[in-house]
Amino acid sequence: EEAHRPKMTVQETRLCGLLLREHFGEVVEKVGTHLLRSGAQNLRTIVQETNLSVDLVKKCLCVLVQHGACLFIAGRKGPGSPTEYRACCDRILRVLRYPRYIYTAKTLYGDTGELIIEELLQRGHMTMSSTVKTVADRLTQNMEEGHSLDYSDVSSTFSKLVETHFLQRCPPVGGAGTSGSAAPAEAPATPAAPAAAVSKALPTPESFPDCYTVPQVTLVGRGKRQLVPEDGEDQRNAKRAKMNSETHGDEGIYWQVNFERFHQHFRDQAIISAVANKLDQTSSEIVRTILRMSEVTTSPTATCTKPLSANEIFRSLPASYNIPRQILDQYLSLLVDDPMEFVGKSGESGGGMFVVNLHRALANLARATLESIVQERFGSRSARIFRLLLRKRHLEQKQVEDFAMIPAKEAKDMLYSLLSHNLVQLQEIPKTPDFAPSRTFYLYTVNQLPTARMLLQNCYKTVANLIERRLFETKENKRLLEKSQRIEAILASLQASGAEPEQLSEVEEMISAPEKQQLDVLRLHVNKLDSAENQVDETIFILESYINSTSTS
Amino acid sequence: ASKKKVYMLYNLQPDRSVTGGAWYSDQDFESEFVEVLNQQCFKFLQSKAEAARDGKQSPMVQRNSSFATSHEVWKYICELGISKVDLSMDDIETILNTLIYDGKVEMTVIAAKEGTVGSVDGQMKLYRGVNAILQPTGLVKTPCGLCPVFHDCHEGGEISPSSCVYMSEWLDF
Repeated sequence: EEAHRPKMTVQETRLCGLLLREHFGEVVEKVGTHLLRSGAQNLRTIVQETNLSVDLVKKCLCVLVQHGACLFIAGRKGPGSPTEYRACCDRILRVLRYPRYIYTAKTLYGDTGELIIEELLQRGHMTMSSTVKTVADRLTQNMEEGHSLDYSDVSSTFSKLVETHFLQRCPPVGGAGTSGSAAPAEAPATPAAPAAAVSKALPTPESFPDCYTVPQVTLVGRGKRQLVPEDGEDQRNAKRAKMNSETHGDEGIYWQVNFERFHQHFRDQAIISAVANKLDQTSSEIVRTILRMSEVTTSPTATCTKPLSANEIFRSLPASYNIPRQILDQYLSLLVDDPMEFVGKSGESGGGMFVVNLHRALANLARATLESIVQERFGSRSARIFRLLLRKRHLEQKQVEDFAMIPAKEAKDMLYSLLSHNLVQLQEIPKTPDFAPSRTFYLYTVNQLPTARMLLQNCYKTVANLIERRLFETKENKRLLEKSQRIEAILASLQASGAEPEQLSEVEEMISAPEKQQLDVLRLHVNKLDSAENQVDETIFILESYINSTSTS
Repeated sequence: ASKKKVYMLYNLQPDRSVTGGAWYSDQDFESEFVEVLNQQCFKFLQSKAEAARDGKQSPMVQRNSSFATSHEVWKYICELGISKVDLSMDDIETILNTLIYDGKVEMTVIAAKEGTVGSVDGQMKLYRGVNAILQPTGLVKTPCGLCPVFHDCHEGGEISPSSCVYMSEWLDF
């Protein structure tokens, strides 16, 4: 909950700032990072402290609220005190994961699903009808001349996304999802907003019964192809579409992406992958089946899935896995016996009741992540020491040498190196009350949770570094990029007006071969940095999920 | 190891706690020897696990036949003849434990009838080769994840993402 979240770190603020800048511009970044640093503030204070105009601050807050990056709550100084705004660090950090959400939607629900999620992430929240129309238009654009996409195709995909909880209704007024038309005012929150007076009790989307109810919409028609745009027409068309006053019956019902559901999906994927690596394909398919059956019955904070009987699991296995019942029982038994404890047995009825141990799996994944980091950074033998300490909790230096079979001098160096990076800690246990060094145990130890927290901060810093480098590379080549864009635009309009090939090649030659090469190199660099950001986000996801699971265990 | 000089009668066999055991020759720890044993034990367990997989038996049988007792491993190492000194089953178990800390091997203990070959106090230790559950994590695929001056780096400083040579090398790779 927002109120209980510990203070933000420098790295988190820095990364949030960069993400806000990239997605919403520098002014929103300024207001956003100000709120992150200062905590909840009212409009007047924000204006004073950021030195921006009231209008500009209001617009920024609108954008932030629209995307759930900022909440507004009744003033804490009692009724009548001005509304306060609080930025949500966690929500802003999610911007980093947008490509993964979009890609996942594509793998599950094709291009239509991909665009629905992309639109909703871009806009923060939208009604079903405007989403459907926008996506139909976009998909029609890419289709062959004369073809278009029916609204009903998009509607059905939208409904599927709602049924499987990837989309959810925005909570009504008082939370993050108000209609974008009203600028946040200084008036206190309306009395109708449930429990809005105390920030702790902000209603979750799922506390509303209609959270996953698809509204009745009259949405008949097909996507419209846009004509080849001349300067400005593209924008005018877009504005026209937004101001379209057709109604469809779902006005005021706004939808947002349900990040928790996507996270559940990513977590399940990670567990299935871990089982496949540790055991085998069939075991992972069995775990996949259990997780699939548990998708909508498992709460985000659950320690394990609800028990399922071997009978039910057997019936739900995919058709391509034609294994006999006794063999399934063997696989289940092996899963339960595995030291990783992916699966647990919770009863005997129905051939045995089984659960997936979600929190245990996250702890194992986090642990493997920490070990991987130590291994790559410090080498195999340091990794051996690290794993040893994770297992044995507290060891003296001599014991580390003996168990790890590493000679004294090297073991000492490795331990000190790990110590200086705070990956192992030293505890002093006095044998006598005077704490004399010769009569004190010095024990090395590793604590998984604080270590995970520290490495998570390193991940945030790393992503911020990658983004800064990417912005730097782009800035360095700004002149060249602008030139290249101008030439592209000229070529496009020449082609549209049916120019001769000689005219086209004359324009193409305005950019020299070395310049082209420089652009290629830039593109390569930017792509590499971009994909590295996504890779680090995978590490972030595992560590965050693990850390969050410990606070609800 | 302590540099204290210890004397004893010529014809007595010194206890291993005094000589440093199988892993010390004179005062030196035999790192290479330990490393070789580590690798050989792992190879043995790995091939046993592979043979079990290729056997295409039922999963239970497959899993059970991928295990080797410490006695089996000890026998294999002795027969290899790579050790100049006699190695005990305890010695082999010490090596196998390092493989556990390497994340390459896991161990289970089962009850064994008294007198079963390789059993100690009614128990037997079983070992088998295992795979990692995770590929190397995203963070370590970036220069920052491995950077020795990570903590000195900040935008505008002498060491910064914009000016970073490790990044430049990595980008041009």
